[in-house]
Amino acid sequence: MLKFPKSAAVAVLGLTVLATPAWADGDAGAGEKVFKKCSACHAVGDGAKHKVGPELNDVFGRTAGGAEGYKYSSAMVAAGEGGMVWDDTTLTGYLANPKGMIKGTKMAFAGLKKDDEIADVLAYLRSFSQSEAAVTPAAAAAAVETEVAPVEAAAAPVADQAVPAEAMIVEKSQGAFGLGRVATPDEVAAWDIDIRPDGTGLPPGRGTVAEGDPIYAENCAVCHGDFGEGAGRWPVLAGGHDTLLKERPEKTIGSYWPYLSTVFDYVRRAMPFGNARSLSDDDVYALTAYLLYLNDIVTEEDFELSNENFASIRLPNEANFIEDGRPDEPHYAKGLEPCMTDCKPGPVEITARAQIIDVTPDGGGDENAGGGID
Amino acid sequence: MVDQTGPGGARHAASRRNFLKAGLLGGAAAAASAGMARAAGDPLITEVQDWNRYLGDGVDAAPYGKPSEFEAHVVRRDVPWLTSDPVSSINFTPLHELDGIITPNGLCFERHHGGTAIINPADHRLMINGLVDTPLVFTMEDLKRFPRENRVYFLECAANGGMEWKGSQLNGCQFTHGMIHCVVYTGVPLRYLLEEAGVKTSGKWLLAEGADASAMTRSIPIEKALDDCLVAFKMNGEALRAEQGYPLRLCVPGWEGNMWVKWLRRLEVGDAPWAQREETSKYTDLLADGKARRHTFVMDVKSVITSPSPQAPVTHGKGPLVISGLAWSGNGTISRVDVTIDGGRNWQPARIDGPSLSKALHRFYLDINWDGSELLLQSRAIDDQGLVQPTKDALRAVRGGNSIYHNNGIQTWHVNTDGVVENVEVS
Repeated sequence: MLKFPKSAAVAVLGLTVLATPAWADGDAGAGEKVFKKCSACHAVGDGAKHKVGPELNDVFGRTAGGAEGYKYSSAMVAAGEGGMVWDDTTLTGYLANPKGMIKGTKMAFAGLKKDDEIADVLAYLRSFSQSEAAVTPAAAAAAVETEVAPVEAAAAPVADQAVPAEAMIVEKSQGAFGLGRVATPDEVAAWDIDIRPDGTGLPPGRGTVAEGDPIYAENCAVCHGDFGEGAGRWPVLAGGHDTLLKERPEKTIGSYWPYLSTVFDYVRRAMPFGNARSLSDDDVYALTAYLLYLNDIVTEEDFELSNENFASIRLPNEANFIEDGRPDEPHYAKGLEPCMTDCKPGPVEITARAQIIDVTPDGGGDENAGGGID
Repeated sequence: MVDQTGPGGARHAASRRNFLKAGLLGGAAAAASAGMARAAGDPLITEVQDWNRYLGDGVDAAPYGKPSEFEAHVVRRDVPWLTSDPVSSINFTPLHELDGIITPNGLCFERHHGGTAIINPADHRLMINGLVDTPLVFTMEDLKRFPRENRVYFLECAANGGMEWKGSQLNGCQFTHGMIHCVVYTGVPLRYLLEEAGVKTSGKWLLAEGADASAMTRSIPIEKALDDCLVAFKMNGEALRAEQGYPLRLCVPGWEGNMWVKWLRRLEVGDAPWAQREETSKYTDLLADGKARRHTFVMDVKSVITSPSPQAPVTHGKGPLVISGLAWSGNGTISRVDVTIDGGRNWQPARIDGPSLSKALHRFYLDINWDGSELLLQSRAIDDQGLVQPTKDALRAVRGGNSIYHNNGIQTWHVNTDGVVENVEVS
């Protein structure tokens, strides 16, 4: 099995929580939802591996900086060497204010503002930890009952199971081969979410800059930075005006992207990274409005973007996109017969060498010297 | 399942052989003391080797075979500083270790925008919707009932060589040219599927969409879709690898790799392009004047010498030297490849060997007698449309240094007198 069976996990946790009314305390089901904020960088569950952050199986009882094979900040390693172990207290403190607790941690996440969210996500993470640090006294008492739970849970039907194909009215293809079947309107609607520059495909909805601010802070800022400036090598979303002619252009929504529809379309289909399709249409309108604000394209916090006014917003760089001009370049002129003999006047000189720049992997050079491809 | 070909298994077998050998040497020593002369020559020939005496593994030791343990260094590699995270990144085909024109499946470079989607083929669906007479859904089983074609095509990322626009940067053709592979695809011509749904006359563009976490989308002109595109489910005879879009991918022959949507789940016919992220903010070519080209679909005529190259130095000294490389063009076949050993002053035609197929890799060789002096090696491809591979300086003169994509400039390798090779640029 590739993934931890969600239904089984919830069932186990449900039982644990029921049996431990004294535990203060988090709701693991709610915590699973909160964890989506973490899942762009952290994995947990069966087969979890390190991503941007370490995997979190058995995080309870783990020495800080102690997950094998993960490259921690020196601050986190020092905390572990100082004896810090992840338990309910330390994790609560860390999740409330990561940089406040471990100055120098590489975790870019700003922290969870609500205590109940922290309790919920810890309840969720606890379910993936075997250590005593993860077990409360009351939960330990319930352990005998919990042990039998997975078997029952595995046998329980999955609640949101798709309607089996047999139950549908299947209309055969009328094409030459008669293969395939007619797609239902609901099926087309479920997948056809693309938006075109003229606004074709936009769902009804609305959202303001002010509404987008907290959604951005919670879902986007960890990678894209508080002001769209980008963390690490994650994409820069704002700024970069007047850089397209410079040595290192910053190709942002405001400086480069031709159409606003691309922002809405891409956020709705693929963001937040690692938790695609989780935002409501109104959330996406609000986020898109907020990104316009970060790019100084709208300036009022009460600006509302909707399917009504969407197509009226134009991005500054739209006119600078042109069609492919390669066929007209002089080196592709028709009938060019390349020179074969005495093509250069004197001995050829070396003008640039890769070993000087030295960014080849395993080259031991400055890994930040190069430029990105993406 | 126990994998007996892994490093652990090999070590175990070796230690067992060593144990047996130790006992045997005792016997050999006794024989030598009896007066047997030691044979003159290469001990690998004059002495019986383990593999010549003892039995090897039986069949089924590796139900799915792997390369020899002595080829363990022939792997895809990435450049960590290029991207922010491995789930949205790229690695590179080890071109310097390969020959012929076909890339082994496990060495085909990977480019993901949301990691590798793992999809049970029984759960996979392909939808066709938009400007069609009837929107359709196909299962994998349905698709395998359409007539099939087998075609050899290269797939090159538009950013192949993208790090070299501003000068020589990466020391190895795996990194400068390794965003390319070439396999034989088996699949259904896309036009059969589109005709099954019935494309309306207003349908001018096709949107292809993947089922992965990036829901990759690209707009393709309908003429191309109806021409030579394939919906493929096999590569080199076996099912697509997961990282290459299992169970279904689009092939857009000769055009940039980003359009070859993996985990293909939907095709929408429309009357205009969609301006998706990967055809606006990315995969557009910024020019020196601030304008940016879009819809730069075709991969240009291009070549590179794969050996010698920085990762494949000359270790045998002067004398016969095989110069080998690859050439390709998104326009069709390669009609000629020229090679220079003096940095472009004098050129000679190389020998193209093996199949010459449209929009596929071509293998070329130039067999020389190396005098041990420094070499400045370059190759220059010419395609069947008469287009000549340009120099990097010619490209920069027209486009500047910020284009990222479509760098098909002539590559120079400097070979020093010790046979060490470096990525350089020349006057």
